[in-house]
Amino acid sequence: MLLLALRNLTRRPLRNALTLSGLAVAVAVLACLSAFGQGYRSQLGSELDRMGMQVMLVPLGCPYDAAARVLKGKTLDNSLPASALTLAQHDPAVAVAAPLLMVALPRPSEGRTDMWVGLDRAALPLKPWWRMKSHVTPGSNWFPSDDSVILGAEAAVTEAREPGDKFYSPETGQTLRVAGVLERSGTSDDSLFFVPLATAQKMFHQPGRLTAIALRLRDPALISEATTRLQRIPGAQVVTLTEMMGTFLNLVGSVRTLLLAIAVLAVTISTLSVFNTLLAAVVERTGEFSIMRALGASRSQVFGLITIESLLLTGLGSACGMGLAAGLGYGFENIVKQWVPFAPSGSLLSLTSSVMLRCILISFGVGIGASLYPAWQASRLHPADAVKMD
Amino acid sequence: MAKTQRKFWYVGVGLLLSTALLVQWRSASRVPLTDFRVLPLRHHIEGASLCPWRQPEADLHAFFPTATRYDTQSPILSSLLVDIKERLGRWLTPDENPLYLHRVYRNQQPLGTILVRRVKGEYGAIEVVLAVDEQGKVRGLKLQRLREPEPIAQTLRSPHWLAAFEGQTADSHWRLGEAVPEVRAAAQPSAQAIVEGVRSSLILLDVIRHNKT
Repeated sequence: MLLLALRNLTRRPLRNALTLSGLAVAVAVLACLSAFGQGYRSQLGSELDRMGMQVMLVPLGCPYDAAARVLKGKTLDNSLPASALTLAQHDPAVAVAAPLLMVALPRPSEGRTDMWVGLDRAALPLKPWWRMKSHVTPGSNWFPSDDSVILGAEAAVTEAREPGDKFYSPETGQTLRVAGVLERSGTSDDSLFFVPLATAQKMFHQPGRLTAIALRLRDPALISEATTRLQRIPGAQVVTLTEMMGTFLNLVGSVRTLLLAIAVLAVTISTLSVFNTLLAAVVERTGEFSIMRALGASRSQVFGLITIESLLLTGLGSACGMGLAAGLGYGFENIVKQWVPFAPSGSLLSLTSSVMLRCILISFGVGIGASLYPAWQASRLHPADAVKMD
Repeated sequence: MAKTQRKFWYVGVGLLLSTALLVQWRSASRVPLTDFRVLPLRHHIEGASLCPWRQPEADLHAFFPTATRYDTQSPILSSLLVDIKERLGRWLTPDENPLYLHRVYRNQQPLGTILVRRVKGEYGAIEVVLAVDEQGKVRGLKLQRLREPEPIAQTLRSPHWLAAFEGQTADSHWRLGEAVPEVRAAAQPSAQAIVEGVRSSLILLDVIRHNKT
């Protein structure tokens, strides 16, 4: 029956070739869009990861007041309870929890404020932009000793410091050694002085005190449930980068809708195309099917023959479509990227085996769906129709 | 008939392949326009370390009590680099190149110039405010910011030591113990940095003044 179906397909080469081409293009579009959607989501997620923290845990009180106090060069009065760090670290959605002690030392006579940040190693994954220029600890982004300080790029220029220089804090009487200077990042880190958390707590006589915990989640999409849980930590409140997270979720949602709409269109067009081809074939071959029935072919055999023809057509179409997607996918990606808002840099096309398998299954589904009516029509033909045709 | 069908088949496949190749070529050859997402802020051009003048009114009042106004000039030094190198004994560093001269006036009459400069102290930056009269003599010196430990800061800010700069010119013997008094050992690196900063500023000003005349 397979051979018969194949032979039937080759009897109308032009029509079937055009249907096959249409199907191949539809499958290629479907594969590329699926791969693009998957790649877009994962790339956007990793770009968010590269931005550092997503959530901040701060002491109870108005977070805007806290921000204003820091900007005005006043120190924060509130502290986070010690249990907040442990609870945040144990939250299932939290990937990184970095404790921070931020101290602002106003220098009114100089019209400026020194901003000191004490942090521990957990903060490093939250600062992927940290590139430290240092001959003291080459290749490292961390403090070589407790009495060392890392300066932001702007802070190093303002203080005329280079790695290895001494750096004195007049307010605390502490002399530190500059371990390195950060490359300019365009973030607030550029103007900060970083010291190990324990050193900061000792310098400012605030043992065990934390003013904030910076958090990064395992998946940015978990923000809502994580926030709900973190809000329950006593003495702490959650400040999310709401705008960023909202934008992320909106973008992923709208891109998914856009891609789904195009995919549905492609599938519909290819289904109609296969349906049209098969229906035309059935109408043309009415006499042939009637004779088959007269010669003893059952209804199910005729039904099966049309279905197999359809599956062969869609199978070949899928194979060509996958080839097209693999060959032209990156060109297609460049075109689609122009329409997608805030498309991340780098390749978004992730043509994985699961994406290909899904597209092939959809294609076979299209084949079966499109063949149902023509196959039913063909199987309904009566053997007597063969006589009428003559 | 079969021949015609084969022709159609070839044309169809050919068209499809040409379209595919065209799309691929267009996409590959398109140069991406400036994309703010691909240009991280951290790659901004690094600015020069311009030292701000933190208290202009107080300093004007202290150094030029009769002054009524000041303006800021930024002379181009590129044509003077060889002269400056001869006088300084070294090339200008990138930090020194954008020079700001705060010219002080009593109405239309020029009274002098104020230069602000950041020098590298032993424990942090030291910001120097230098007032120079129209003859190129130091009128006064102020340390507007420093981060040295208290004993060193006291030495450097002592009126006796700062007053020693007054009346000096670009041609003075700019060494500790000569143009300005010696300081105790702990304060020497930072004192030397201040002396060198004042000398450089005076030479720059002198070269600019002579080239103007």
